[in-house]
Amino acid sequence: MAEVYLDRRRAALRRTQNPDGGWGYFPGKTSWLEPTAYAMLALDGDPAAREAADRAWKLVQSWQLPDGSWRAGATVEDGTWVTALAVTLCSVRRDYGTQFEKGASYLLGTCGAENRPLVRFLRALGLGDKEVDTSHPGWPWRDGNSSWLEPTAHALVALKKSAAQVRSPVLKTRVGEAEQMVLVRRCRDGGWNYGVRSALHVDLPSYPETTALGLLALQGTTAPIEESIALGRHLWLRPKSPLAHAWLTIALRTWGDALPAPDEAEEPPKDIMLTALQALAHPNGNFRLLKTGRPA
Amino acid sequence: MNRRAFLTVTGTGATAGFAGMKLTHRDTPLPAGPAGNSAVAVLRADSYTKDLVSPILGGIRACSPQLADYVKGRRVLLKPNLVEFDSNTAINTDPRFVMAAYEVFRTLGAAEVMIAEGPGHRRDTLDLADQARYFDNVPGFEGLFTDLNRDDVSPVTNFAGEERMYFPNTALGADLIVSLAKMKTHHWAGATLAMKNFFGLVPGSVYGWPKNKLHYIGIPQSIVALNRRFRKTFALVDGIVGMEGNGPIQGRPKASHVIVMGRDLVAVDATCCRIMGIDPAKVEYLRLAADMGHIGTDRIEQRGETVASVRTDFELLESFRQLRLV
Repeated sequence: MAEVYLDRRRAALRRTQNPDGGWGYFPGKTSWLEPTAYAMLALDGDPAAREAADRAWKLVQSWQLPDGSWRAGATVEDGTWVTALAVTLCSVRRDYGTQFEKGASYLLGTCGAENRPLVRFLRALGLGDKEVDTSHPGWPWRDGNSSWLEPTAHALVALKKSAAQVRSPVLKTRVGEAEQMVLVRRCRDGGWNYGVRSALHVDLPSYPETTALGLLALQGTTAPIEESIALGRHLWLRPKSPLAHAWLTIALRTWGDALPAPDEAEEPPKDIMLTALQALAHPNGNFRLLKTGRPA
Repeated sequence: MNRRAFLTVTGTGATAGFAGMKLTHRDTPLPAGPAGNSAVAVLRADSYTKDLVSPILGGIRACSPQLADYVKGRRVLLKPNLVEFDSNTAINTDPRFVMAAYEVFRTLGAAEVMIAEGPGHRRDTLDLADQARYFDNVPGFEGLFTDLNRDDVSPVTNFAGEERMYFPNTALGADLIVSLAKMKTHHWAGATLAMKNFFGLVPGSVYGWPKNKLHYIGIPQSIVALNRRFRKTFALVDGIVGMEGNGPIQGRPKASHVIVMGRDLVAVDATCCRIMGIDPAKVEYLRLAADMGHIGTDRIEQRGETVASVRTDFELLESFRQLRLV
């Protein structure tokens, strides 16, 4: 089968790589780690992109900060949630050197601010809101902030994928607790909101893109999540957002769903991150790179 | 207990923010505010289907006649409130209101009129705009629009005690930012109007979805810091149909049939509060901003309708009943 869809997207990614080796969110824009990471995953194994991938990896490596985190992009000096994506890239490239160790260590040492010792102590005294179960640490967008679904999902993928290489006694606990955090934040319909399941005692809606990330995060879980998978399939059938559709396709494929191929004639979007995610989501794309098991 | 510990132990940092007003005192006297008075125009507007361009132009002439001269040949950024979509309620600035504002600033001679937003929760901004019917109502919308969550950024120092914050270059480079806010109640800040609308200027690519950093700085403090950083601004508030109750997302539509505008965003928000039946002197972020603009009616020159003639009390959550304007 001619893979016009996949080839076009990979070609678009090769064409839009910045001179520094990274990708912006849109062509011609400054390089950011997020679109760079997805472009690298999408191009992994593409013989025509070997040199491009090496240049990109050099750039990503140069963005690690002394504390082990990765900066968000070329013009941003702060380490953020994209550290998880960089750790996943280390695994994909089987580069388990010092940078990987520092990155994984940073992730294991970071949790949502709601789980820091002082806050846990205050909660033990009975202070706090009972509506939100904040007892299971996940990951924040930035150190010092609260845990949210998306950064937790990316950190879980990164750590579960590289579990065999992480020499830390806390790995299994952190993964298990973060999976619990994802589970307790499930919305009433089985999907996920970006944050919690309710606010001010009013149920929040689940969204397709965050439901996809919830499913990605829970790969390998033994918890009953059939309802969540069924919701993911339902949402996949009536796509509105191309981004959500790409994430749902990736997530459901990692759970073994044999979804039909997209319309091969569909042109790649201008959005580089979306182009990369659509390439990953293709039946012959690299969605498998985001497949994980669980730490032994 | 400090703000950070309070925020985290309550878990509210993980939901949407927190009522920073609970941590501060409303009894302290307000600063005098800047010299002079501020003009705010209040216009009646029955629906989005009637001509909005002429009344908005009239309102600008009435409250800010210098704006037309300033805008000529400059880059104007229209910043709507585009948050989430729910067909059962009125969350976002109506796209017909945005289109009218676009035509207004083209008519005033702006060299470029852009539309830009960085939604706080949803990552697919264009899909959100499509659901909210921006593509249907704003011809060439995609070409005019910048997703501020994924724009290139530059650092800014001295922001609310932070060493640096990053902001989108599109916002930093604009000669005028027009806050096209929606008149809504807000379950943490009391009300979300022209000033709170600037949360959308903070890039998700650096601060996440939502921009949880702002919750930790404090919602009222962040609102004020954003408005101190972005000073070349104008407010146009869509109160034709707003939101009451559990805003800014889960409340009910509330028609108040007004458009409120002015250059002093503090005065515009204070006026909107009065129209909504909220006492602006009890809203924490307005108290914190009292040195930047005017809250008191003695310093606000009302143009167009009087507040009393258009006041339509918005339902307030129990926790905000004390804000009711007597």
